[in-house]
Amino acid sequence: MALKGLDIFKLTPKTNCKDCGVPTCMAFAMKVAQGSVQIGACPHMSDEALAALGEATAPPMKLVKIGAGEREYALGGETVLFRHEKAFVSKNLFGVALKPDSAERVLPEVMKIDYERIGERMHVELLHVGYGGSGNGDMAGSGNGDMADGGSGDRAAFLDTVRKAAAAGRTLVIECGDAGVAREALELAKDGKPLLNGANPSNYAEMARLAEEYGVALGVGAPDIGGIYDTVQALEGLGCKNLVIDVGAASAKEAFANAVQIRRAAIKDSVRSLGYPSLVNLEKLAPGNPELQLALASVFVLKYGSIIIMGDMSYAQALPLFGLRQNIFTDPQKPMTVEPGVYPINGADESAICATTVNFALTYFIISGELQRSGVPVNLLISDAGGYSVLTAWAAGKLSAASLEKFFSEQGLNDRLKNRTLLIPGKVAVLKGEIEESLPGWNIVVAPNEAVGIVKFMKELSA
Amino acid sequence: MKLLFDRVFDGAGEMLAMAEKEIAAATAELGEAAPISMPNTAYSLACHNAYLGKQIRNVSELARGFSEAKEWASGERRLGGAFNAGFATFMAAEAIEACKYARSPDPYGGEYHGHMSDAEVRELGVPLVTGDIPGFVVIIGSAPSDEEAVELIRGYQSRAIFVFLIGGIIGQARRQNLNMGFPVRVVAVGPDIWCAAHIISFVNRAAMIFGAVKPGDREAFDHYTFHRIRAFVNAFRPVPDIVVASGGGAIAMGFPVVTDDAADMWPVPKSLIIQQNTADFIETSLEARDIKIKVSKIDIPVAYSTAFEGEIVRRADMRADMDGSRSDCFELVVSKEAHEIEDHSIELIGPDIDEAEPGARTSIGFVCEVAGKAMQSDFEPVFERKFHNFINCVEGVMHTGQRDTIHIRVSKAAFDAGFRARHFGEVLYAKVKSEYESVVDKCAVKIYTVPEQLKELRAKATEIYNRRDERLGSLTDESVDVFYDCILCQSFSPAHVCIVTPERLGLCGAVSWLDAKATNELDANGPCQRVSKQRVVDENIGIWEDVNERVREASHGSLEQVTLYSIMVDPMTSCGCFECICGIEPFSNGVVIVNREHDGMTPLGMTFSEMASMTGGGVQTPGFMGHGKQFISSAKFMKAEGGPARIVWMPKALKETVGAKLNGTAARLYGIDDFVSMIADETVTEDAEALLEFLGGSGHPVLGMEPLL
Amino acid sequence: MPFAPVPQAFKSSLKEVVIGAGESAVALGGENVLPLYSFDAPIKNRPKVGIEISDLGPDRSLPELAKFYEGASSAAELAARACAAPGADFVCLWLEGADPNGEDRDVADCVKICREVAEASPLPLAVQGCGSPDKDARLFEKIAEALQGRNVLLLSAKEENYKGIAVAAVTAYGQKIAAESSVDINLAKQLNVLISQLGIAGDSTVMHLGASAAGYGFEYIASTTDRVRLAALAQNDAALQMPVIAPVAADAWSVKESVMSEDEFPEWGPVERRGADMEICTASAMIAAGANAVIVRHPRSAAAVAELISALL
Repeated sequence: MALKGLDIFKLTPKTNCKDCGVPTCMAFAMKVAQGSVQIGACPHMSDEALAALGEATAPPMKLVKIGAGEREYALGGETVLFRHEKAFVSKNLFGVALKPDSAERVLPEVMKIDYERIGERMHVELLHVGYGGSGNGDMAGSGNGDMADGGSGDRAAFLDTVRKAAAAGRTLVIECGDAGVAREALELAKDGKPLLNGANPSNYAEMARLAEEYGVALGVGAPDIGGIYDTVQALEGLGCKNLVIDVGAASAKEAFANAVQIRRAAIKDSVRSLGYPSLVNLEKLAPGNPELQLALASVFVLKYGSIIIMGDMSYAQALPLFGLRQNIFTDPQKPMTVEPGVYPINGADESAICATTVNFALTYFIISGELQRSGVPVNLLISDAGGYSVLTAWAAGKLSAASLEKFFSEQGLNDRLKNRTLLIPGKVAVLKGEIEESLPGWNIVVAPNEAVGIVKFMKELSA
Repeated sequence: MKLLFDRVFDGAGEMLAMAEKEIAAATAELGEAAPISMPNTAYSLACHNAYLGKQIRNVSELARGFSEAKEWASGERRLGGAFNAGFATFMAAEAIEACKYARSPDPYGGEYHGHMSDAEVRELGVPLVTGDIPGFVVIIGSAPSDEEAVELIRGYQSRAIFVFLIGGIIGQARRQNLNMGFPVRVVAVGPDIWCAAHIISFVNRAAMIFGAVKPGDREAFDHYTFHRIRAFVNAFRPVPDIVVASGGGAIAMGFPVVTDDAADMWPVPKSLIIQQNTADFIETSLEARDIKIKVSKIDIPVAYSTAFEGEIVRRADMRADMDGSRSDCFELVVSKEAHEIEDHSIELIGPDIDEAEPGARTSIGFVCEVAGKAMQSDFEPVFERKFHNFINCVEGVMHTGQRDTIHIRVSKAAFDAGFRARHFGEVLYAKVKSEYESVVDKCAVKIYTVPEQLKELRAKATEIYNRRDERLGSLTDESVDVFYDCILCQSFSPAHVCIVTPERLGLCGAVSWLDAKATNELDANGPCQRVSKQRVVDENIGIWEDVNERVREASHGSLEQVTLYSIMVDPMTSCGCFECICGIEPFSNGVVIVNREHDGMTPLGMTFSEMASMTGGGVQTPGFMGHGKQFISSAKFMKAEGGPARIVWMPKALKETVGAKLNGTAARLYGIDDFVSMIADETVTEDAEALLEFLGGSGHPVLGMEPLL
Repeated sequence: MPFAPVPQAFKSSLKEVVIGAGESAVALGGENVLPLYSFDAPIKNRPKVGIEISDLGPDRSLPELAKFYEGASSAAELAARACAAPGADFVCLWLEGADPNGEDRDVADCVKICREVAEASPLPLAVQGCGSPDKDARLFEKIAEALQGRNVLLLSAKEENYKGIAVAAVTAYGQKIAAESSVDINLAKQLNVLISQLGIAGDSTVMHLGASAAGYGFEYIASTTDRVRLAALAQNDAALQMPVIAPVAADAWSVKESVMSEDEFPEWGPVERRGADMEICTASAMIAAGANAVIVRHPRSAAAVAELISALL
């Protein structure tokens, strides 16, 4: 349970010295409770206070970092099981598994996926390279190095693929249960701080040393959830706590069960040794079945996959998957917003009719979609309305005649646009008169209350 | 004079005798084994089936059923016996009709409708159950004239009431060329009173289909028909005993009978009503069966839509200007007894808009009279406050303000389209009736435009406003039995629940206890539900087990407990749409309050929006709480921590809004005069230390209070 | 101490709603665990997959879809084809043409189509209206009458028209209905309460909590479904224990990613693949969120989602 602001306040020096950059100790305490300021920002906290707070504010799930520089990503750190309770902390990462025989073909396709969607860069963050049939979930604790296809030719191909992947400018997941081979791979990719996956009940000590030596996070797996728990505890005993749990490859059903049970044990039952991010490898769960992989990936975005590795990712798969992830990892208290500005639709130019709505992304998507369907050229004017829906923005004073007036003058719309008809949302019809006053020369028309009426309305309007 | 019970039993006897004769004839003619059935039904003879729990399949079963029915009619000549005799009459009538159908599958050959198929039962049953058809009437006998017959039928049709005709009125309607049939909702059932069996069969099948009532469970049938089938009977004189007996059955089912026959008739309130003026049959009947007619359209010459809500009528465009700040204008809702109001009466008292010079300033007053069994005078101000929206949605009409500060303008365009003073009445009538359907049965509007009269009426209205304000002021949390919750904001703050009490309005400032109460009564499944307050845990900080249970349920488990009067212990949550937020200021042991409109800094080192971001979203944040402006002057404002005396800082504008009331509360609670002047604002300081200094200088009571932390 | 998972089976369970008649009838809901959590307790009925056909016919500009429905022109022929699609548990006829703002097909014609489709479908049938509350109310009453005994699911009854639809469809003719609300747990609950007040039991209603495609406000529907399911199971809220149906087809196939031509976005690849992937992703996520049935348009989607369900349960 997170600490309340007042509990934190009681531990502050209560001097309002402002050394933390916040005007009062109370404001500081509230910001710490909210998570927007770190407790360390106060230089005057006593050691006892820091210790007390550190214990109480430690999340039930570790925040683990992989990658380096601008390609460093945080995983885990979650405090809730459902996003309506509080926002999820770390969005999941997507990875694509590169294999020696197909890397040449797959890599350029994967790299092509790189676009922006509502202020977020969408790309495959991780490249996964595995050694032999390696990994851990499917090894049943049988040790390493003696894998059927772990011959030296495979080793060379594996290292060659690691080299190619490392050169691609993405963070790597190196999966290898053979510490010797893993060391060679790490040598090739160490600067990018890859995730080393492959610790299991029989090799964990060796792997832990290796991860420690290269300063990388370690992926750990076992044939079942009990084995995972035991192996993690053993690793923790060695002081190795920079971990990611591989939920296994026995079957999709078991991987899903593990992902859920591990997350639930950590958050609901405070089982600290399961409080680590997860990794799920769909190429192992549904080899060569891109549709099933897409379906499973969608499930794991909602239910507790921190790293989701796929056998490949086409642009067509990326579009919905990244959109889904963007949705699920939004803060329920802070809606997604779009940039204020003029959005021409259906090839609208300066003489096209204008319509305005709020910058809440969902509203924007719905309205722009309907306007598009109407086929009528229209300039959609998006003003900053605090990211609220129309009625809420209006009630909060974020959408008003004055706010529109300010927006029009900031954007110079009276000069940029020739048309003088402005459609306003039906739900704020009450603003019509005021807007007429604040935007002289504009003909204010009230549009329908609901988006479903837009197509018909636009067609009639332009008829 | 013959007693009513005697008339029922005699009438039942007549019907039974007739049935006995028919059954005997059928037995002789067709044989005992001859099949008995009604076409297109899976419910056999539905009346027999319903009352006896038996399927009648052949003539001999019909005869056995008849002897049972006969017993029903041999009971004591008292109320229960009379009801049974009524049901026996229906069974006998059904037997008579069944014999006809045993001889021919279509005994009426299209001249009369006779038996209704199951499909017709479903077709008519659905709108009856949903209320789309508000009810049905069975008209028996002949109206005084053919014209009156048709007028009555059309009157019901225009109110969407389904009409069944029996006897003479059918011929009257035909002579007037009235279009009849299922699609136009007027059905000529049959020439004789025993044809009523088809209607009762319909009702009983509806109960079995829509109410899942089991055959033989007569009580369940009575219950269903009384509560779900809004039917009634109009019987024209002369009303013979056999019709009286059928009427007894109808009354037992909950269907009142209205008749113009006063001879040997014994009125029974709400059940058997004598209305000698047949022109008033409709009104009398609807009232007796509690049928409300929905108002679906507003009869005005201009458009009506929320799209016109924000329209401004400029001086140059206006035809009429009624301004409460310059002349006597007002609007008022008053509740009355049902008999005092003629529904939909709209009266203009004084000159109309066209009698004044274009653009001239005139005055206007609206008195909206409402009546209804569930109406309460506490709803009056709730309706009244909506007049602004109601009138503003008229194209070309602008309305601002409320009570006696209204300002109304009518545009030239609206005037040219024919908009006149009475149309205000049409709008108010239609909106009040439709929006408050569940409590308003009748509504009439009076529109006053004579200045002298308005002066007088406005003074009277002011008295009413004052009385209401006093009532609101005298309501305390202790003086009421229930609180209300409000979950209007859950769409964007899913875990938040407001508990609204007389002394603590919703944190948005828009939902008072009376509003919540009205919302609840008007829409029992809506966002405001009653919260009992019987299991008190701690009255001082405001904990009730009932309240906690509701909070748990309405927050879907995310909140366990709230206190109503503390901001330190489990304070009420905030959704994000609060008018103000208060937060403790630890150095003075007081609280700082800041309203949404204030965008400057506070001595807490946080602005409104910073504080709001930490408090919203339905999360309990001890020491911080969102609330309405009016709550500041409430004696319950952080009562657990000492009340409003804890307030140390407020923006100047907020002080001006709530100052007078807050001073009053402080004088009453603490005997302090001019408390507001002891509270700092942004013109004094935005700094915690300077605040403390100021409080010392102003002699603020908080300095003598217990520490908050 | 070895780790022992704590199974989280609830005392309350979802109501079970059966659609269709005879051997092909399918049951929705009934479980007492969170979606797909079969490790907590056995899941009584797997999520079901419906395949959508429109009375206006498929979008034959999509080559795969055109091939799938090649030679099938009437709604009945389309339905027969859809029922044969691998993974389909039921077929959903969308009366797109009934829309008063579109073709405005009249009620009698729609009823005739429904009859023919019901005749041609070996699988249970759902009928989706055109979305106009008034038209749907009139349609469903007649469809419910015409398809007596087929136990069809009618989508949807909304706040504006639930009374007539619920009474006609369920009470008068024994069909099933979906209660549709717009992505809000309280609105969903209120509608369920209103419907139950008409005397309709929970095993005749499923909930349609609203729909959105992945990337288009999907978080709202996901969280609403989470909350509805938690209220049903953890809070034992009987007014929210109805199974959930998610007709995702219309939304999935109307977003930018599924409609923009390949000419405009060559790197995105063929339109049809994008639409199907959007549909697979959205339907799968809805099943993870708690849908007991999804309705998809593309046979490829139906197959993938069915495969997902088999893989996880």
